[in-house]
Amino acid sequence: MAGTVTWTYPSVKESGDRFLDDLALFLEPLGLEQHQFHYLTLSLSEAFTNALVHGNKLDETKLVTVRLTVNDLEISADIIDQGRGGLEAVRTRPRPELLAESGRGVDFMERYCASVEFMEDADGGLTVRLRVPRRHEKKRVQ
Amino acid sequence: MEITVKDKGGATVLTLSGRLDLASGTTLKEQVKSQLKKGNTMIHLNLAQVDFINSSGLGALVSIMKEVRLAKGRFTLSNLASYVEEIFEITQLSHIFEIFSTEEEAISSYHVASVR
Repeated sequence: MAGTVTWTYPSVKESGDRFLDDLALFLEPLGLEQHQFHYLTLSLSEAFTNALVHGNKLDETKLVTVRLTVNDLEISADIIDQGRGGLEAVRTRPRPELLAESGRGVDFMERYCASVEFMEDADGGLTVRLRVPRRHEKKRVQ
Repeated sequence: MEITVKDKGGATVLTLSGRLDLASGTTLKEQVKSQLKKGNTMIHLNLAQVDFINSSGLGALVSIMKEVRLAKGRFTLSNLASYVEEIFEITQLSHIFEIFSTEEEAISSYHVASVR
């Protein structure tokens, strides 16, 4: 199976569940191993939540766009928000303390994806690009 | 996510099913706060039917733990799926939460604590 799909969602909390429902349906025919499905879902969920909360600040007039591409070698995803200053926020994010209630999302993405890229348009809007090989091997991290 | 609530062995047991994420984490926090307001400060979460958790869901659990501690109560978890358990391990939150294999073990621990 190969191809690309694009979805857009308003920036409301409930979009997180809608996105995960859409993602599950999209991934089902790929026949991923259960752990790979979990890691991919977690990574994309983290990028999506960051776009909703930190990028678009739950402003329902702003959209989160997800572009998923699958080929024989990998699954890649672009998660795009309409906020400003996202790249700087990612670069300067503090390490989460043990009892922090947020701030672990990027660490999950970096742990479970082969690559994580952050790009910002001149007009603002952060794109997070995640890549996962179809046969995924978990990276060793500290 | 669905939440069912019952009283068992001196604790308030919340059984969750579905995903624990941004939206459901907010609902769960509100549910536990309402229990604390009623004076139910011994809170147990059975996560057997939770098939997905992300950092927002973890954040909700950390927030609940802080609220319960402020209320001088106790907060326990049980029945973590292997995937959920792994998330607790890599974030080291497994060292912070009281986690039991089964709901029965957790409830027994409340009984032992109250006898002492």
